[in-house]
Amino acid sequence: MTESAPDKSEALLQLSNVRLNFHTYAGEVKALDGVSFMVTKGEALGLVGESGCGKSVTALTIVGLLPENASVTEGKIILAGKNLLEISSEEMRKIRANNIAMVFQDPTTFLNPVLTLGEQLEEVFLLNPDELARIAAERKMEDTLVEARSDKGTQPKENAEGAPSTARLSKSAQKKLARILSIEVLKQVQLPDPERILKEYPHELSGGMRQRCMIAMALARNPDLFIADEITTALDVTIQAQILELLRQLKKELTGSTLLITHDLGVVAELCDRVAVMYAGNIVELADVKELFANPLHPYTQGLMRAIPMIDRPLERLETIPGSVPDLIYPPSGCRFHPRCPFAFEKCKLEKPELIHGGKAHTVACHLYGEGKA
Amino acid sequence: MTQTVLEIRGLKKWFPITGGVLGRVRGYVRAVDGVDLEIKEGETFGLVGESGSGKTTVGRCILRLIEPTAGEIIYRGQEVTRLKGEAFRRLRRRFGIVFQDPYASLDPRQTIRGALTEPMKYHKIVESDDEALEKAKELIKRVGLNEDHLYRFPHEFSGGQRQRIAVARALTTDPDFIILDEPTSFLDVSVQAQILNLLSDLQKEFNLTYLFISHNLSVIEHMSNRVGVMYLGAMMEAAEKEIIYRRPEHPYTHALISALPIPNPALTRERVVLAGDIPSPVNIPSGCRFRTRCPYATDYCKEKEPSLLARQPGHLVSCHYELKLSAPIPIAEISRKA
Repeated sequence: MTESAPDKSEALLQLSNVRLNFHTYAGEVKALDGVSFMVTKGEALGLVGESGCGKSVTALTIVGLLPENASVTEGKIILAGKNLLEISSEEMRKIRANNIAMVFQDPTTFLNPVLTLGEQLEEVFLLNPDELARIAAERKMEDTLVEARSDKGTQPKENAEGAPSTARLSKSAQKKLARILSIEVLKQVQLPDPERILKEYPHELSGGMRQRCMIAMALARNPDLFIADEITTALDVTIQAQILELLRQLKKELTGSTLLITHDLGVVAELCDRVAVMYAGNIVELADVKELFANPLHPYTQGLMRAIPMIDRPLERLETIPGSVPDLIYPPSGCRFHPRCPFAFEKCKLEKPELIHGGKAHTVACHLYGEGKA
Repeated sequence: MTQTVLEIRGLKKWFPITGGVLGRVRGYVRAVDGVDLEIKEGETFGLVGESGSGKTTVGRCILRLIEPTAGEIIYRGQEVTRLKGEAFRRLRRRFGIVFQDPYASLDPRQTIRGALTEPMKYHKIVESDDEALEKAKELIKRVGLNEDHLYRFPHEFSGGQRQRIAVARALTTDPDFIILDEPTSFLDVSVQAQILNLLSDLQKEFNLTYLFISHNLSVIEHMSNRVGVMYLGAMMEAAEKEIIYRRPEHPYTHALISALPIPNPALTRERVVLAGDIPSPVNIPSGCRFRTRCPYATDYCKEKEPSLLARQPGHLVSCHYELKLSAPIPIAEISRKA
């Protein structure tokens, strides 16, 4: 069960066969049922599906922020040669600081209401004093920071040139630099008047501005992987358009990869290079974005696309997927979609379909396409 | 000529903001600030707007769940806001409403049977409990559930099923006008399609008139015959849906439609991204309320508030200028795969 596009692109993150259960009083919820996919360097991968399909759980598993009652029973998550499921929590914390950043749906819950945005944003930089010293050296900012530094008495000015400075900046110089960097990153997310915003508390900003601050915080350390979990869902259409426009620009400027989690196929179509469709804890289809929309193979993807009203192609009547999402304590046997699938046959009840090639840069987990039928 | 079912003229709802020890009124939230609209027999009128635009407040004022501050609401020639007591109750049964959140709109301690029969008894539509039960059975089957479900409690149902129950309840008093206030925004897309189809079927079967309130432009487009676009408590543009979606004349409508992400990666279009946030309804900008975000605003817009005027029969626009705006969405040649 490997990736669809084995081309030159290099893998940044590789999930293989990740299984995850939640322990609840009602029983074991089999939330992820062997999830495998890869995020290549620099790409934007969309993860779409309805609520409860496991898309957010997948993201939380990657960043190691699962609730207590979750346990990963199988699988590997490889990032930079390390299996994230095996490393210590201290190592994981470092990865979250340096390699992965995540932004959630509701910015209000993830901003501290009693600290100003400046305090919260500067903290991101202050956590890594070595990095600050390196930046100061690289930009030859010693002079600007010198007054703050002189009270310490040390003047390793020669460090400014040549090899990165290992000497740490003084606390006040660090603060000063962190503020400069914070303002830069707020400008990058196009917030007007960043100096003022740094002095404000989260409740003083609008939803769209808070979400921009969250994005700024996530991008501050230039992460390898940026995970965006439904970041435009809580916003109004015109504000959503602003954030989408921002993400599109950032995609050009930044080198990292993006994992975009959403239920909105419109957002996927606008921002992603490739799309993975999830249903009941499985990836059922994975393809290039244009290929997926032009030629959806899995019956679930097909159903989903005919169920949304599309304003560019008006329809008399929407098609529906009968029934509803299954209870994952007692998931259906074989293919988890078979009770709702119009094409289901005997084999679907018995055997779980694997992801197989369904065309160029296109994989699908469905028995309809097995045995060379594709 | 189709008859007008509901007409609203100059509807206002200002919520007072009180403060201090004495609870003095310090200002008003102008949630609805002069809305006119007209809904014809058998049609679906879509009311769309961003959060805080006042669309829900309009719906609630029509039912007088909240009392409007000013304005007239005329249902089939009858002024709704002046009716009292029994007269209002008789009229009220002609209206139904489905709310956004199916988890909050059903009483958790009441069985579905209770939820469906209570309005019938209150409005004296049925003569006996048996008759009420019969009618409840009929309705529950009509919305795609079965009789056993009548004896269950709301927590035993999924979101989609609860919304079906809410639809059944809206039909209990044989209404001819139903307000659908974001009926699918809590639902997943596959379930949303089921509910939207159900609503379309019921409309034909019972000859219902709908006021469909939503922030979801695609859903409004799918369901409505005519659409009204609200911004900060006022109507910006109202017209047949083809005009709103293909040839809007108000810059806000244009930006709104062009901002919508369309699930079609092959589509290229020019997007109008409005700067800034929606102003607070406490401090509505002077003149045209949209001017602070309007790319075409002039000094004149600051001084004078435009009124909603008909440019063609049935196409109302509230803008000082006749702007030449491009089509917000190109019509795709590709048809959907079968």
